[in-house]
Amino acid sequence: MPAPAATYERVVYKNPSEHCYMKVCLEFQDCGVGLIAAQFKRLLISAVKDLFGEVDAALPLDILHYEEKTLSAISRICSSGLVKLWSSLTLLGSYKGKKCAFQVIQVSPFLLALSGNSRELVLD
Amino acid sequence: MALLPSSLWDRVRSCPKSQDPWIPPQKTLGTRYTHLYLLCELVSDDSRCRLSLDDRVLSSLVRDTISRVHGTFGAAACSIGFAVRYLNAYTGIVLLRCRKEFYQLVWSALPFITYLENKGHRYPCFFNTLHVGGTIRTCQKFLIQYNRRQLLILLQNCTDEGEREAIQKSVTRSCLLEEEEESSEEAAEAME
Repeated sequence: MPAPAATYERVVYKNPSEHCYMKVCLEFQDCGVGLIAAQFKRLLISAVKDLFGEVDAALPLDILHYEEKTLSAISRICSSGLVKLWSSLTLLGSYKGKKCAFQVIQVSPFLLALSGNSRELVLD
Repeated sequence: MALLPSSLWDRVRSCPKSQDPWIPPQKTLGTRYTHLYLLCELVSDDSRCRLSLDDRVLSSLVRDTISRVHGTFGAAACSIGFAVRYLNAYTGIVLLRCRKEFYQLVWSALPFITYLENKGHRYPCFFNTLHVGGTIRTCQKFLIQYNRRQLLILLQNCTDEGEREAIQKSVTRSCLLEEEEESSEEAAEAME
């Protein structure tokens, strides 16, 4: 007896997650500059405001985790604003007259993915 | 049987109209840039505000507002094809031209204009967008109809007898012109 014809169902997954998580690190040219979490968030928002204006500076941006020693943070932004945030971080050049640059370490629509980074794997 | 080669036909059919104003829709055929014309009305309590309208003042005001609301990106994108095409200081009608890809940035920045500054005086005002058209001619047609309707509204609301007579004269004159226009259009169609 021939087997019944298999039915196929096509599922298209278009990234419906509403937030995108970014792990960024701020590096200064000279050492000895410290920022608290509020100043860091203000810097991110002012970068977006410079490039994309007040409308996009009001995008819901959150700093989920911040380390003052290494100046690295995990931030969350809605998915439509990811490109805007990333491009404005790329074009940010200075903070209070001191030269600095943002390094984006990891970006993912899932927060769990930021817990492990294969680039920082140390093989024994 | 396709008149165009199939590869070109696919490109024409799949021209996406993007919802996001930051991503311009992909251009497929033709190399000319298209513009859109925004017909706006300047509404203000102060009567001196409209008289102090100048195209340079207005142009710089709109550019500053776009730069505030949409940042460096918005200012650069909108200022390429931006121009003030028509300005009427008595009625406060303004016709702005902008590139089709970024017209939503210009349009959305207009409600953020709250005052007009001229020679140190600040007049509070706001912009009403009446019509968005592809050509100056369609905007003009709309403006003529809009002005006729406004005349009738003014006729209803006016209190002074002298004003009433003057407005009635303008209304009858515009009706005669409308009939003339229609008959000339019909004659032109009949000839063809």
